[in-house]
Amino acid sequence: MEINLFQAIILGICACLSSMPGLGGTTFGNYTLGRPLVAGLVVGLILGDVKTGIIIGAAIQVIYIALVTPGGTVSADVRAISYIGIPLAICAVKGMGLDPNTAQAQSMAAALGAAVGTLGTVLFYGTATMNLIWQHIGWKAVEKGDFKKLYLVDMGLPWISHIICSFLPTVIITMAGAGMVDIMKAYLPMDGIAMKTLFTVGSLLPAVGIAILLKQVVTKMIDFVTFFFGFTLAACLGLNLIAAAIIGSFFAVINYKIIMLQSKKTASASGPDNNDDDEEDI
Amino acid sequence: MKKLSRKTLNKSFLTWFYGNLTCFSQEHMQTFGYLCAMLPVVEELYDDKEKQKEAMHTYTAFFNTEPQIGTMVVGMTAGLEEAKANNQPIDGEAINGIRAGLMGPLAGIGDSMIVGTLIPILLGIGLGLSGGGNPLGAIFYIVVWNALMWFGMKFAYFKGYELGGKAVEILVGEQAKAIRDSIIMIGTIVMGAVAASWINIHTSLVLPGGGHLQKTLDGIYPKMLSGITVVFCWWLMTKKNISPTMVMLLLAIIAFVGVLAGFFNPGLSY
Repeated sequence: MEINLFQAIILGICACLSSMPGLGGTTFGNYTLGRPLVAGLVVGLILGDVKTGIIIGAAIQVIYIALVTPGGTVSADVRAISYIGIPLAICAVKGMGLDPNTAQAQSMAAALGAAVGTLGTVLFYGTATMNLIWQHIGWKAVEKGDFKKLYLVDMGLPWISHIICSFLPTVIITMAGAGMVDIMKAYLPMDGIAMKTLFTVGSLLPAVGIAILLKQVVTKMIDFVTFFFGFTLAACLGLNLIAAAIIGSFFAVINYKIIMLQSKKTASASGPDNNDDDEEDI
Repeated sequence: MKKLSRKTLNKSFLTWFYGNLTCFSQEHMQTFGYLCAMLPVVEELYDDKEKQKEAMHTYTAFFNTEPQIGTMVVGMTAGLEEAKANNQPIDGEAINGIRAGLMGPLAGIGDSMIVGTLIPILLGIGLGLSGGGNPLGAIFYIVVWNALMWFGMKFAYFKGYELGGKAVEILVGEQAKAIRDSIIMIGTIVMGAVAASWINIHTSLVLPGGGHLQKTLDGIYPKMLSGITVVFCWWLMTKKNISPTMVMLLLAIIAFVGVLAGFFNPGLSY
């Protein structure tokens, strides 16, 4: 499967819009266009295979389901995963003749996405460093009271950083990478150690994504109870995610009521107008 | 009595909505987004160029928080700046103190509630709808997330503007904590379901007696290996303080050894 220049250019623009200091705005750029699930649809439309795009995007999404960037520290950057990783994974899956709907194809996509994700970190710091130049212009503008220039500094000039650090790498890598699949096929047999490991790694990686998320809410083993409640609903009872979410909401409502009751109790117990008569009746 | 027009507030909100992180650098994360968002406010409140400069100077300080929930701080400072322009006892230093004091707590709430819980729930449902390459999941996420954030952020901005410093209570009060707690509960349950539906770890090991180990494990608890791997990764990151990237590398080594030992085998051919 080939990616032509026109397709690569659109992928490059999407990469600019969705990268961490999102040019599409954080909410729509980074948190919408940049999510692999959405990128799967977008890349699928660009490459003309929506179905494969979505299956691949969804498989990669699980690893990056909790991509929190506290204080601007990144472990992976969405632009590379979504707009370099997904197109390459689609090419690889199709080039190897895998059925996209199989666990194997999804493992392949996960491994490729993660490999490209580390490249994203480099691109992220490149963009952020280059933006220092525009910010320098901004400080001078503030000092002189030339405030209109601030809009240019915040919204116009960063495009230059992104053309260099998002657009060009995306165009070059997606165009070159598409042809790599044939070379891989020629030199790396599917039943060799390298490919077997690659696919196995891909099947293990989604566990890291879920674990990153759990790290924020689970601090001791007992906190795993709610997690394994959901796990069991899906694994043993075969419920889908919407059903699990509804059951989750039911318990959340109960939990909310209990907490509110408890806080009311402590509030009235310490309150000055505490009525002792009630207790005597009992 | 100076009063900010609705038009100016909307312009300030839109500028923040789009530009909060567009000129990101490690040194001044959201500072320029903030400066741009306050510019319409400052320009309307002060006619004198020197006073404008003085007011803008307040917002040159470092600012970084979770941008969605942080909208409330921008709205609040618009309200405080208005009060300051009306000669109420508040100055740039006080505004900056409030700003700096809110950055951390709001980032904590925003990162755990929005990025760490709301997004994973929405993505989880989206993944559930994507079976077989169905675009419905992605469309669901795009529509629901953006609608929630557009109206939520607008609400936060104007609520912040109205309440000024008191706005914080809405976010850190007792009831807010109970709601947060409960939403995290939904999030964890959904994540369990996501893990069971999307992690497929199988072993190809054949037991000495001739049976497959995978079948034996499925008989005990389906998807057992996937569950164990998640707990293992969590343990490495939380108890051993190993970074996610290192955990991924470790998994690569485990995969390599597992393949050599015959524990893992995807069983593919071109």
